Amino acid sequence: MSYLELRDISKVYGEGAAEVHALQRIDLSVDTGSLVAVMGASGSGKSTLLTIAGSLEDPTSGEVYLGGRPLSSLSRNGKARLRRQSIGYVFQDYNLLAGLSAVENVSLPLELDGVAARKAQAAALESLEDFGLKDRASSYPDQLSGGERQRVAIARAVVGNRQLLLADEPSGALDSTNAEAVMRLILAACRRGMAAVVVTHDAQLASWADRVVFLRDGRVVDQTVPVDSPETVLADLPNQ
Amino acid sequence: MSVGVLERPATGSASEPTTGGVPARRAMIRWAWRLFKREWRQQLLILLLVIVAVAAVVVGAAVATNTPPPANAGYGMADDLATYANSGKHPINLNLVTAQSAALEYRFGAVQVIENESFNVPGSSQTYDLRSQDPHGPYGGPMIQLLSGHYPTGPNQIALTPGLASELNLRVGDTWSSQGGKTVVGIVQNPQSLLDEFALVLPGQVTHPSTVDVLFDAPGVNAGRIGSNVSTPGSLNNNPINPETIVLALATVGMLLIALVSIGGFTVLAQRRLRALGMLESMGATDRNVRLVLEANGVIVGTVGAVVGFGLGLVAWLAYRPHNEQNAHHLIPMFALPWKVIVPAMVLAVIATFFAAGHPARAITRVPVVGALAGRPAPPRQIHRSFVPGVIALAIGFVFFSLSGAGSEGSGVIWLIPGFVALIAGIILVAPFFLAVLARAGRKSPIAVRLALRDLSRYRARSGSALSAISVGVLIAVVICAVAVARYSNVYDYVGPNLASNELAVWSPSGQNGNGQGPNGTTSAIPSIESQEASVHSIASAVGATDVVELDNPAPSVGLQNPSASGRQWNGQIYVATPALLRAYGINPSSIPSDVDVLSSRPGLSGSGVQLTYGGSGKGGGQLVGPGSGGGGGPGPGNTNTCSPEGCIAHPVVQEESQLPTGTDAPNTVVTESALHRLQLASQSSLDGWIIQANSPITSAQILNAQTVAATNNLSIESKNDAPTSAEIVNWATVFAIALALGILAMSIGLIRSETASELRTLTATGASSRTRRSLTAATAGGLAFLGALLGTVAAYVGLAGWFHSNSLEGGVSDIIDHIPWSNLFLIVIAMPVVAAIVGWVLAGRDPTGISTRPME
Amino acid sequence: MSVRHALLALLSDGPKYGLQLRQEFEARTGEVWPLNVGQVYTTLQRLERDGLVESDDSAVTGPQKGFHITEEGAAELAEWLRTPPDFSSPPRDELVIKVLVAFELPDVDVHEVVQVHRRYLVELMQQWTRLKEDESRFDLNFALVVDAELFRLDSLIRWLDTADGRLKRAAAGVDAPAPQPFPLPKARRKVGAPQ
Repeated sequence: MSYLELRDISKVYGEGAAEVHALQRIDLSVDTGSLVAVMGASGSGKSTLLTIAGSLEDPTSGEVYLGGRPLSSLSRNGKARLRRQSIGYVFQDYNLLAGLSAVENVSLPLELDGVAARKAQAAALESLEDFGLKDRASSYPDQLSGGERQRVAIARAVVGNRQLLLADEPSGALDSTNAEAVMRLILAACRRGMAAVVVTHDAQLASWADRVVFLRDGRVVDQTVPVDSPETVLADLPNQ
Repeated sequence: MSVGVLERPATGSASEPTTGGVPARRAMIRWAWRLFKREWRQQLLILLLVIVAVAAVVVGAAVATNTPPPANAGYGMADDLATYANSGKHPINLNLVTAQSAALEYRFGAVQVIENESFNVPGSSQTYDLRSQDPHGPYGGPMIQLLSGHYPTGPNQIALTPGLASELNLRVGDTWSSQGGKTVVGIVQNPQSLLDEFALVLPGQVTHPSTVDVLFDAPGVNAGRIGSNVSTPGSLNNNPINPETIVLALATVGMLLIALVSIGGFTVLAQRRLRALGMLESMGATDRNVRLVLEANGVIVGTVGAVVGFGLGLVAWLAYRPHNEQNAHHLIPMFALPWKVIVPAMVLAVIATFFAAGHPARAITRVPVVGALAGRPAPPRQIHRSFVPGVIALAIGFVFFSLSGAGSEGSGVIWLIPGFVALIAGIILVAPFFLAVLARAGRKSPIAVRLALRDLSRYRARSGSALSAISVGVLIAVVICAVAVARYSNVYDYVGPNLASNELAVWSPSGQNGNGQGPNGTTSAIPSIESQEASVHSIASAVGATDVVELDNPAPSVGLQNPSASGRQWNGQIYVATPALLRAYGINPSSIPSDVDVLSSRPGLSGSGVQLTYGGSGKGGGQLVGPGSGGGGGPGPGNTNTCSPEGCIAHPVVQEESQLPTGTDAPNTVVTESALHRLQLASQSSLDGWIIQANSPITSAQILNAQTVAATNNLSIESKNDAPTSAEIVNWATVFAIALALGILAMSIGLIRSETASELRTLTATGASSRTRRSLTAATAGGLAFLGALLGTVAAYVGLAGWFHSNSLEGGVSDIIDHIPWSNLFLIVIAMPVVAAIVGWVLAGRDPTGISTRPME
Repeated sequence: MSVRHALLALLSDGPKYGLQLRQEFEARTGEVWPLNVGQVYTTLQRLERDGLVESDDSAVTGPQKGFHITEEGAAELAEWLRTPPDFSSPPRDELVIKVLVAFELPDVDVHEVVQVHRRYLVELMQQWTRLKEDESRFDLNFALVVDAELFRLDSLIRWLDTADGRLKRAAAGVDAPAPQPFPLPKARRKVGAPQ
């Protein structure tokens, strides 16, 4: 069952001579429980794809469906509510709110949605515990390491009953060990029933996905065939 | 994940509310509070402004409302007071007093009778009261306070005030022989008047009272209908122009200024938090949530500033209170603060910062979330450059200022407040237009200047607020300057300090300024001229004076008037130009032609169409001659100021003598002896007093000493009062405007340039010299300062034109046009921007720190 | 990597039988590198011939024959560990040759060819990564081997990405003789120059 569906999405920035076609006639659907990676060089439009999928930007043409509901039918506030309740974002540079502790950062989307502070914090604490950050819950972002910050950011993106996780270069500023940890967490969130889209230029990150979509100059040019069994690669090994 | 299902206020349906309700608001406020705790240093300037303003309001309001005598002075807790006093030689009819107080007691309940008997202390010129008052009486409590010992409890006991005790050299436990051997048992004072010196005895001990006060409460009954000698405490609150409303009005203007200044600061702050706010929006915060974060920040700054400012003001007031008690001569309760002023002022501070902080919210929520996340502000909006709305607001300000002159008893003055508000609104509205004009004017200038002026125009959100704030400061200062100059240069109604600091006036008890009556209200004998002169000379030698000038009043009095002049009429004393007086001021009597009637140091008097009145045509005691004396009604065409031949010279010959003193109570205008001779008044002049001129300023100790000497002969002493000179007012107003403008520039240039800081870094990276950076900052500061000063000055004159146009007391628009303080305007409009540019040039020399670093969020 | 040095490394722990050597080899390489028995014995015979290992008992043959490392063998192992592999001369990479040929042929879209290879490589990487997903059977040795494979594939993909971009710019330069489609600052180009 596909949760996110992009139908014939195009996005044009600027006008006249400065017109840039960031996306051209994109079709993409992401099933609940699956992780799709979007790969492409910088400028290929992959970040735009993510912001349009997450209702942060409106497409020039085409329609985004989230859980079957077209985004264009929602008001500005309606989209804000959708983001609070259904969409979690993870960005390259963590984007935690300074001034709020880890647990407060995680509980913020719930509180924005009207969950009482105490309940929201309890849920946030539980989520942080799942991410192995229980003892860092009351630390502030500037007291956390890069890897910890990104884990808090992912905890914030998945807390509550979110259905869609969108990540833009989620490990861009992390070393490969932390990057792997981040991808494991995203994949785990998927396996628990979220649809996820990870945008990256890094093949190692993309290879965690169930399906990799290749974007070039605003168009989907190719995608990988889903792997059935991980054992195939072992079978192919050279046997000297 | 084990998060489970979380309760939300509503779920599912399409009609559910789209905001997160109370939890969301609480989360936003919490975040705003944390941000304030983290970044309060960046808001320190705004915070300091609020703190200083609120502290100033607390101190100013406390001093202003507590300095006048308390409204209930002499009444205690009573609402009504019946007074009986000796009239001339007739003593009080004590039976009548007893009967009437019994009647009052029957009609209104409890009464308290306080009897006073005057007595003199040998060797002292002051008279004191022997007072019988029950210290525990129903109404008199606030009028008596025990300092040490105890209240008299028996007929042989007495309590004294500290002044009387030291005059008599008595202490608690001593016996006062002259009062029938009464024992001093306590030291008391009247907290409502520390000058009230008396000896307290039990009721019934005063046998020959000179005054009797009966205190009682007659709620709802008009005091005048009970008896002609019955009065109630006068109420200050009937007049809308009282210290409280003035302080509150000043506080309102001040908070408006703060709001203007802080808009720029809050805009930059919001800009710095753009990425965090974008993050918030990506998490599903609504525009209202974002706005709430900004507004909460403003409220926090305002509240913290107001509370700290209140605390600071309270401390300052408590430290100043003893000093103020001494000046005001009554005790002031520690927390006698005008809450009616302080609380609104604190609320205003919060409101001002609330609006200033919420101002950038609209611009922030207009930024696309993606742009906000990337820290890209929205491109500067092309806001209206029309100056029509601003001009309309200025015109409304003109109308309000015009209304301020109308109405009786100056009640129209209240219109000045909306007038100022309209002028300020006008300034805010026209500011963007003129910034655009400035940018266009600078198109042909070098790159740095062009860039600076263009940025001022592009980022009007913050340059506009700085510009408006400077303009408002200049507006206030220019209004003060122009009014002071116009007012002080009125040749008829002369204001300013009475004397120079090296002058003392000694007034004879028989003269116009003398206290013809003794301090106790009884007419005491006027000492002989010889003994008065002896005192005056001993005073003069004590202060080291070389000159003693006798001041003579012509009698019948001589006055000046001008029937055709609009506005204020003649105010001041005209003395006789005796040869001694002329000599004292270095005027050669032979240099005065015999046809000259009047000599004056008031500039412009000779050509003003003044008329000289004499003899019986004057009203009153002759001190002020002329119909419009003291202002008030104002002469109109209907007012008859005819110059009848038997008491008036239509065209007196006036010669201006700059050597004459300019003090209001000094002989600034004198009538020549030849004129008196012509009018056959020569032999009728009378002694009024003396002016003592010392070589150096007279100290307060010398003044005190002089007062003691003078008191022995019922003379009174006058020294330089606190009234500022015209130059003092104008110069302080100018200094205020310049300091305020430079302060605003100091805090806003950084803010304005922070928007373009990256541009500056790029410039540096591409090899721009420090010269370019200096020019940029200098042009920004200078341009902003010049435009602000110009706008403020123009707006000030728009308001002043309205005010002087309609105010009958003032001399019309020409009065303000004739007396433009050019040198001060030059300082504000030309010199201040130059200084700003130079300071900007000097301070901008440093290399920008960290070419690649960007501010931490 | 040679089986020869791997066996030497295993024997440096202590004497071992041939069968034991095979099992340990497979365990340490995370079962990624299967080895048949014949390979083990051929190698051991060569090592013995070169004097790097010695058999405990020359009479016994087959799986029960024990071996131990000689001093020469230990020295050889130590030297081998520290000798860098030969990276100096470029390998005749088939992938590079295919892309070069595709660029020369007029009827072939080189980007399409690049993408085909890229997709294949990503799919391979996905399979390797899938192995990491199950952490229970993911021990350290295995992880190192998988990472090595992933980084090798990743480097190929990066080369393809770079080649793709370079070819694109070259094509744009041919199509449009306009000065510079990407007016890059001079400093940038210096940095990008081959070393």
